[in-house]
Amino acid sequence: MTGVINRAKSFWAGRKGVPLLQVLYDFVRLARKRPVYSSVAVGLVQAAPYVVLGTTLVSGLLVPLIGPASPVSFPFDFVFFAYAWGLGRIFLMLGALDTGSSFEGMGASREATFSALIEPALFLAAGTLAAATGKSAFADLLRFRPDDPSTLVVWTGCVIALFVLLQVECARIPVDDPSTHLELTMIHEVMILDHSGPDLAAIQYAAAIKLTICAGLLASLLNPLDPASVPVLFAGMNLALILGVGIVVGTVESLIARLKLRAVPQYVFLALVAAFVALLSSSWRVGGRG
Amino acid sequence: MTIVLAAGLTLIIGAILALALPDNRSRAWAAIGTQAAATGLILAAVVPVIMSGTPISAEWTWSFPVEIVRVRIDALSAFFLCWSLPMALLGSVYALGYLRPHFEAGRNGGSHFALLNMTALSFVMVYTVENAMVFLLGWEIAAVAAWLLVIWDYKNQKVRFAGFNYLISTHVGMFVLVAAFMVMHSQTGSMDFGAFSQFLHQPGTLRNVTFVLLVTSFGLKSAFFPFHTWLPRAHSAAPAHVSALMSGVIHKAGLFALLRFTLLMGAPEEWMGWYLIGFSALSALLGVLYTSSQRDLKRLLGYSSTENVGIAGLGFGVGILGLCWHQPALVLLGFTGGILHILNHALFKCLLFYAAGAVYLAAHTVDIERLGGLARRMPRAAVFFLIGGLAICGLPPLNGFVSEFIIYAGLLNGAVPAGLARVVLVCVAALLAFVGAVSALSMTRAFGITFLGKPRDPQVHVDGDTPAPLLMTMTLHAAGVLLIGLWPPAGLWLVRGAAKLFTDLCPSPLPTVFVLPDMAAILAPVAVASALLVAVVGALLLIARRFQRSAAAHVTWGCGYSAPNARMQYSGTSFSAQFASLFETVLPQLRREDLPAGYFPADGHLATHHVDAVERRMFQVLGDGEALATTVISRIPDQPRFGFAAGLITLAVIVGLILLGGGSVP
Repeated sequence: MTGVINRAKSFWAGRKGVPLLQVLYDFVRLARKRPVYSSVAVGLVQAAPYVVLGTTLVSGLLVPLIGPASPVSFPFDFVFFAYAWGLGRIFLMLGALDTGSSFEGMGASREATFSALIEPALFLAAGTLAAATGKSAFADLLRFRPDDPSTLVVWTGCVIALFVLLQVECARIPVDDPSTHLELTMIHEVMILDHSGPDLAAIQYAAAIKLTICAGLLASLLNPLDPASVPVLFAGMNLALILGVGIVVGTVESLIARLKLRAVPQYVFLALVAAFVALLSSSWRVGGRG
Repeated sequence: MTIVLAAGLTLIIGAILALALPDNRSRAWAAIGTQAAATGLILAAVVPVIMSGTPISAEWTWSFPVEIVRVRIDALSAFFLCWSLPMALLGSVYALGYLRPHFEAGRNGGSHFALLNMTALSFVMVYTVENAMVFLLGWEIAAVAAWLLVIWDYKNQKVRFAGFNYLISTHVGMFVLVAAFMVMHSQTGSMDFGAFSQFLHQPGTLRNVTFVLLVTSFGLKSAFFPFHTWLPRAHSAAPAHVSALMSGVIHKAGLFALLRFTLLMGAPEEWMGWYLIGFSALSALLGVLYTSSQRDLKRLLGYSSTENVGIAGLGFGVGILGLCWHQPALVLLGFTGGILHILNHALFKCLLFYAAGAVYLAAHTVDIERLGGLARRMPRAAVFFLIGGLAICGLPPLNGFVSEFIIYAGLLNGAVPAGLARVVLVCVAALLAFVGAVSALSMTRAFGITFLGKPRDPQVHVDGDTPAPLLMTMTLHAAGVLLIGLWPPAGLWLVRGAAKLFTDLCPSPLPTVFVLPDMAAILAPVAVASALLVAVVGALLLIARRFQRSAAAHVTWGCGYSAPNARMQYSGTSFSAQFASLFETVLPQLRREDLPAGYFPADGHLATHHVDAVERRMFQVLGDGEALATTVISRIPDQPRFGFAAGLITLAVIVGLILLGGGSVP
C-alpha cells in the first residue's frame, strides 16, 4: 500500500521510484539491527512500538478488508476501533515524551491536537451510516450504497470524511509529510526520532497497516459490486479499490503542497462539515418518508 | 435495617473517640477501625439487596419537626453505599500516610479523622433516608465536613479562600435545594419522599420549576458547568485524600439525588431529558477543555471531574429520553452506562488524586512545569498514575471504556426516533469522542511532563519513597479499575439492580413487545476484544523483550544540537499551546512579560497562565452589576425621608406578598 503511494508519487515526479515492496525490505533490514535507547527513557519508549502495532493489528480485525464481512464484528465495534487507535496513539505520544526531547514533545503535542479534532469526524460518519442503515457494526455500516439523490449526499459526505481521516491518521500530505523527519513542521515522524532498529520497524509496519486499514474502509464503502454475487470478484474489486485509493493518495501528495500547520485545523474541519451534511441529509430523507 | 443504624452509631462513636483519645496513632486507628466496622455492617446490609433487588425499609419516630423517618435501601441506594463507604475507609487509610509529616511535627489529627467519620456518616444518611429534613441534615453534614477537611492547611490564606469559596457555593446549592423542597412541601404538606413522588407524578408548571431547581442544586453539588468554579480551587487546596474523596465520592451525592428524584418523578417529560443532555454535554466539553491547559496537577484533575459528571449525565439524559419515547433499550443503556460511569470515575479519579498526592508528598509541589522525570524516582506512583490516566481517557482495556461504550451504544442506538433527535444524539456522540480525545491530550501531557523526561527544576528535591498506606490504597483502586475493565460483568452485577429500577418505570403495557437488550451480551464481545488486545500487545512485548535486552543506551538525539539542558524540554504549556490557541475564547492566557529588548538587554521575564474564563466573566458581571447599583443609589439624594419611603415600600411589598401567599394556600 505504502509502496503504491510511493510509486504513484515517483510517477508524478518523473522518477523510476523504489521497488513496491521497499517497506518490507526496510522492515527486514531494521529488524536485524540492535536498538539504541535514550538514557533518559524509563521503558515507555521500548513499549510504545509494540502497543501501537498490537492495537493496529487488533483494530484491523474489525474492518472488512477483503470480503464483505470482517473477521471480528459486534454491535458498535467502531467505538472499540476508535478507542483502540486512541490507546496506540497515547502510547506513541508517551514514548515520544519519554525521551525528554523537545522535538518529540512538539510532535506529540501536534498529534494530540489534530487527533482530537479528527476523532469527532469518524463518529459523525459512523453515526450517520448507523442512522442511514439502522445497523451498528462496522461491516454492516460500510455496506451502505446510495440509491437516490439524498442518500448520494450521505454517501459522498462519508467518503470525504473518511478520506480526510486517512490523511490525518496516517500522516499523509497535506496534513503531514511522511518522507521527511528533520523539519520542525512534521508531526508523526518527529515523534519516532529516538526509535531505532526493530522498534522503528514495528512502528513503520504499524503505520503501513494503518494506511491499509483506512484504505480498506474507503474501499468497502466504494465497492460497487453486490457482495452476495461472486465472492471472489467482490474481494478482487476490494483489493483493486484499496490500491486505487493508494494511487489517489499518492497523486494528491504529488500535486498539493503540505498545508501550513495553522491551516490543518481548517482542513480537518472540512471532514467534520462533510460528515455533518451527510448526517443532516440522512435524517432529512427519513423524515421525508416518515 | 438495625444494622444500618448500628453502622451510623459506630461511626459517631469513632468520631467521638478520634476527638477524645490522647495521641494521633490511637485517634487514627479509632477512626479507621470504626469505619471498617461500619463498612462491614453496611455491606452486610446492602449485598443481599444488590443480589436480590428487593428493597429493605424501616420507620423510626423522631422528635418534631421530623416525626417519622422512613429509611429505605433499594438497589440504587445499595449501589451507592457499597462503594462509598469502602472508598471513604481507604481515604482514611491514605490520610495515615499522607499526613504523617504533619503528625510528626506535632499537629493534632483528631478532628481530621473525626470529620472523615462524619463524611462516611453523611453517606449513610443521604443514601438511605426518605425524608427531606433528614436528607438535608445529611447533605449539610457532608458539606460542612468537606469544607473543614479542605482547610486542613488553614494557615495558608489561599487555602482559606478556597475553603470559603467552596462553603459559599455549596450553600447556594443548598438554598436552591431548600427552595425545591419548600415548593414540594407547600404542595403536599409533607416532608416524605413518598408524598413528593405523588406530587412529581403530575405534570404542571410547578413540577417543571421544581425539576429545574433540583437539577441546579444537584448540578452545583456535582460541579456541573457553569457551577464548577469552586471546584478547581478546592481540589488544589485540599490534602490529596480529601480531594479524592470529594471528587470521587462525596459529590456523587448530587448525581445520586438526581437519580433518586428521577425515580420519584416516574414519567419525566422530553424537555427534561434534553435539558439534562445539554447541561451535561456543556460540562463534559468545557471541563475537558480546561483540563488541557492547567499547570497544577490537582486542579487539572478537578476540572476533569466536571467532565466526567458530564459524561455520566449524558447517560442519564439518554435514559430519560428513553423513558419519554417508551424505548426500554435506551433506558437500560443510558442509566446503566451513567451509573457505571459514576463508579468508574470514583475508582480512577481517586487513584489519580492519590498518585498526585504521592507526588506532592515527595516533591512538595504539583506544578507540572517544575516536575519531570519522576518515573525514575517514584516508579510505583508513576505506574498507578498511568493506569488511572488511561482509564480516565476511556481507553480499552480499562474500566472507563466499558461505561463510555455503553453510553455510546445508547447515543447511537437504532431505537432513537429518526429525525432531529437522531441528528442531535449523533452530534452528542461525536462530541463525546472529542472529549475522549482531548482528555487523552490532557493525560498524556499530565503524565508525560510530570513523570517522563528529565527533572525540570533543580530546586525541586524528590525525597523518600511512597509510604505503604499510600501504595496499598492505590493498589486497591487500580485493581478495581482493571477488574471492571477486563471483566465487565463485575461492574454490571453492581449496577444491574439500580438500572432495573429505571426500566421498570417504563409503562408496562407497551404497544409492541420489546425485548430488553441483554447487557451481558452487548458487553461480552467488548471484553473479548479487550482481552485479545491485551494478549496481542503482551505477546509482542514479550517477543520484543528478547532483542531489547541487548540494546545500547545513548543520550537523546538533539537534532545536532550538542548542549541541551533540562529546561529546554517541551513544557506543559508548550504542549497544549496549539490546542489552547484553537479554543482561545474559553481558554484565555494571561501573559505578564518583560521581554529583553535592544542591543544590550537587561534580564527579562515571562509568566503565563491559563485562567477560568467563566469565573472571570462571572466576577466581571457581578462587578458591573455592583457598579451599576452604586451609581443608581448614589443618584438618590442622601436625605432621610427617601430612606424612610424606600423602607415603607419594601415593608408594604413584604406584607402584601405574605397576605397574597397566605390567601392562596388552601
